This record gives sequence, structure tokens and C-alpha cells, in this order.
Amino acid sequence: MTSPGSNPRVPPAPGSNVPGSIPRVLPHVPSIEVEAVSFAYPEGTRALTDVSLRIEPGETLAIVGQNGSGKSTLVRHLNGLLRPTGGRVLLDGADVRPVHVAHLAARVGLAFQNPDRQLFAGHVSAEIEFGPRNLGIRGAELAERVALALAAVGLESVATANPYDLGYSRRKLLALASVLAMRTPVLILDEPTTGQDARGVARVQDVVARAAAEGRTVIAISHDMRFVAECFRRVVVMRAGRVALDGPPSAVFAEAAWPELRASYLEPPLPAVAGARLGLGATPTGGAVVAALAAGPRNR
Amino acid sequence: MSMTRLPDYVVRRPSGFYRSTNPGTKLVVAALEVLAAFLLPGWIGPAVVLAAVLATAAVARRLRGLATFGLAASPIVGSILLVNLFLLPGASDPIARLGPLAPTWSGLWFGLQTVARLLAFSSAIALVYLTTTVDDLLADLSRRGLGRRAIFVVGAAVQMVPLTIERAGEILDAQRARGMDTEGRIWRRARGVLPLAGPVVFGALTEVEERTMALEARAFSAPGRKTLLRVPRNGRIDRFLLWAALLALVALVGIRVAGRLG
Ligand SMILES: Nc1ncnc2c1ncn2[C@@H]1O[C@H](COP(=O)(O)OP(=O)(O)OP(=O)(O)O)[C@@H](O)[C@H]1O
Ligand SMILES: [Mg+2]
Repeated sequence: MTSPGSNPRVPPAPGSNVPGSIPRVLPHVPSIEVEAVSFAYPEGTRALTDVSLRIEPGETLAIVGQNGSGKSTLVRHLNGLLRPTGGRVLLDGADVRPVHVAHLAARVGLAFQNPDRQLFAGHVSAEIEFGPRNLGIRGAELAERVALALAAVGLESVATANPYDLGYSRRKLLALASVLAMRTPVLILDEPTTGQDARGVARVQDVVARAAAEGRTVIAISHDMRFVAECFRRVVVMRAGRVALDGPPSAVFAEAAWPELRASYLEPPLPAVAGARLGLGATPTGGAVVAALAAGPRNR
Repeated sequence: MSMTRLPDYVVRRPSGFYRSTNPGTKLVVAALEVLAAFLLPGWIGPAVVLAAVLATAAVARRLRGLATFGLAASPIVGSILLVNLFLLPGASDPIARLGPLAPTWSGLWFGLQTVARLLAFSSAIALVYLTTTVDDLLADLSRRGLGRRAIFVVGAAVQMVPLTIERAGEILDAQRARGMDTEGRIWRRARGVLPLAGPVVFGALTEVEERTMALEARAFSAPGRKTLLRVPRNGRIDRFLLWAALLALVALVGIRVAGRLG
């Protein structure tokens, strides 16, 4: 019998062999392939139809689309919580079908849309410990991971609070931190900015930027087009369980794609609209927009 | 009734045997069955009730739903059996001796009977769930003049069951996404699942509380008569069944009380 809580079938997390050290070198980041995946929920809702995507290691990908378009369903295929009824999901070219979720969780971290369906521990740091513990992390490294995850979302001051005494936005950040502490090479966030004020959004942006800088793959579902345009290099638009658009923000938010976006009940972000009017493309910098406006009406 | 002129998507009546029976009638029938399961002596109670529920479910084509329900009840059924089999106080007719353990015949019979009673009364209630939509039940109760608070309590309680199941499933998924092993040994799984009971119940309660406030915000308890969009069927058969069940219920209780006194 193994020591309580340890899980012999989950491979040790990268770097855990060096007690107390924070792995500066990222574990291997897998490529993700979604091959013609279809999925229907048991009671018959067809949530995905023939979805194909290839996500390279280190990519930052935003998934957008109206409510019920299948975004959450799609990401739950990437860590094996849902198994496709048609097609395959591959990590590094290997079908994930035979792999247990507990195994996949070491490689693909997923923070759920609704924190209240994720949080369960009696206090904040226990909640954050849960994931790394399941990966076999103990002792100094565990403490370090908790501290860093708390700091990343600005919850250091409430480490001993009960999660349910925090407001919604902080519970949501806690759910994010609890996945962050697992240091998975792939990080998936389901609507991380929903319910956040400007400071919360900035924290989430910071988390995404840092994970991306470390070379991790970051996938986020969002309805916040500004967040999407600013933080992600690739945008996938889903409509009725299919991929409607897929490309860099400059293409997906370009004027030519607006009819398609609007058919998916999405509005291009304001900078994209301004950029198009000012001839600056779909992803102008704030500075460029201000400069163009200051240059006077000739440019408009 | 003027209601029959409403478009189909508003009135969408349930169809099929027992499913279209009046919800209030079904409630009284279920109440009768629950009482019968406990008040009729020995094996008669559970046997009669189980037979009645199964027959009704079969004709209403709800046997599968009932089977799922039975499966969900199997852990508690198993533990009742085991506890009685080994630990029935005063039982002294051992079936065999297994080291320190001595399962007894009387324990086995008593356990089986308890389980049969439990299944009989709970499947009677489950059958109401399986054949009735919440809207119909609430509309019928309100038409019968039940107060709004009472209707809300019934509605919230009834809706909490599927909501709680759904919530529990997602909470479990969220922990699996964080590496909780749900595919390993039973004891390990159980240990992982137990701490989740808290948020499941807590969340369900919060949801009900929020719904109460949302209802209040929409003037739920404002005085005056409510307009009902759906009016469940209440034909001659429904009324006959209702009164028959009520009579049987009163008779059953009466006989038991008389038996005690006599
Ligand atoms: N557990 C479930 N059982 C049955 N159907 C479901 C379940 N979860 C989602 N669905 C259905 O599958 C479809 C896709 O849902 P999904 O949650 O993936 O959408 P989404 O794009 O994430 O929407 P949102 O923006 O509202 O989060 C919807 O029609 C939804 O009603
Ligand atoms: Mg979703």
C-alpha cells in the first residue's frame, strides 16, 4: 500500500524530485490534436460536430462563441473528462482515450467556469494544495507552490479564509490558482475574466502572459473580446458545435470577418472597429489609435 | 375550459398512461403506498406496494427510470442488509460461523424485509417524479388552493433532486480535472468523494435561497389570484382514483389504530 494520498498511477510532477526547488525548466509541452471530434450528451444534445484543431506547444488560444456553442464541452475533451462520440483527441500524437483523467490532469490543467462547482476545501490554501497533492507533491515544494499560486492571483492575505467567505470574483481567482499550482504544461481557463473587475482582469491577463512566457500552452474560453484580442495569438470562433473561424486576432477581428462574427452573436472588440475605420488593421495598439485620431480627420 | 385554446407549446400536455393522470391524484396514491408499505404487517405491505408500483411503472413505460433509481439506492440497501445480517440484536440462529462474525437467519429475513419496505415506499415516491413534470405538480397544487409558500417549498424540494445530482457530477468532474483518482480502488474513491458532500449540499441550499429571492423580486408572494397557464387534467377517473386512494388511506390508518387500541 502506498502512503495516504499518493497516487501511484500519476507520474510525479516535473521537478518534484528536487525538494524545495521550483522547476524553472518547463516540463515537456505536448501538442494537441483534435481530429474530427463529435460529441453528443447522453440525453441527446449534439454539442460538437466534426471539430478539428491542431494546437502547437506554447500557443495561446482563445475560444469564443455564443452560449451553448460547445466551448466548455470542447475543452473537457482535452483532459479526458468527456470522451468523443466520434473522432479522436491526441496529445503528442497519442490517442488520449485509454488514459485516465487523473493521468491527463498532470499534463492538462482545467479551471472550471463555475468556481462553486470546483471549490470544496475548508480553507483557501487547502483548496490550492489539492491538485498538486494529487500529483504527489509534498513538503517544501508543496508549500512553495501554494505560496506562488496565491501570489499570482493576489490572494495571499486570505490564505486561511474559507473559500465561501470570499466574494465571487475571488472565488473565481482561487479556482484559477488551484489549477495554476499544478504547473501543468497545458493550462485551460474556462471564462476566467467573467465576474472580474478591472483589477481581477489584469491579474488574469498577468497569469496568462506569464504562463505563455514560460512556454506553456494557454487556452482560454472567453466572452471578453478585449481580453481575447490583447492576450491571445490565435482565436477560434465556435458556432453551434462547429469551428466557424480560426486564425490570429488580426484576421478573426478583421472587417471581412465581421459578418461571420455577428452571425455568432459576437461583436468585434472596439480597437478592431476603430482600427478598421482608421486604416490600422484589426489589432492596432492604443498608441497608434490615439496618434491617428490626433492626426486629424484626413485619416478618417 | 377556455384554457384549451392556448397554443400547444403552452399547454403541452403529458400523454400516456399514468403520466397524464392528475398530479394531485398521483401524490395521494403515493402517500397511500408509502403508508401501506409500513402499516401492513410482515411481507404483505412491501410485497403489495412493490407489485403495484412495478405494474404501474411497467404500463407507464417508466421501468427503466425505476431501475436506475434502484441502482442508486443499492449502497444503502447493501449496508442495511449487512448490518442486519451480522448485527441484529437478539438474533441467535446463525447461518454459519465466519471467525468472529455470525450471520443469522433472523437477521437476513429482517434485513430483507426492511429493504423491501424501503424500496417499496421510495419507489412509490420515485414513480411520481418519473411520471410528473414539476410545472404540472405545482400548477395542480396551486389550483387546489395550496398556499404559495407551501407550493414553493414543494417545488424547491422536488427540483433540488435533479439539480443536486447535476451539481454533484460537475463537482466530481472538477476534482478529477485536478487529478483526483476516481478510477482506482473503491476505498480510495470513497475517500475522495466524501469531502465533496459539503459543497454539493451547501450549493443546493444556496441555489434554493437565491431562487427564493429571485421569486420575491418578481412579486411571488403578491396577493391576488395567479393565472395558470397549464392546467393539468383532472377527469372523472382522476377524481375517482383520488377519492379511492384517500378512502383506502383513511381506512388503513383507522384499522391500524383500532388494532393497536383493541
Ligand atoms: N451536462 C450536460 N448535459 C447535457 N447537455 C449539456 C451538458 N452540458 C452542456 N450541455 C449542452 O451542450 C451544448 C454545449 O454546451 P457548452 O456548455 O459546451 O457550451 P458553452 O459554449 O460552454 O456555453 P457557455 O458560454 O454558456 O458556457 C449546450 O446546448 C448545452 O445545453
Ligand atoms: Mg461554458
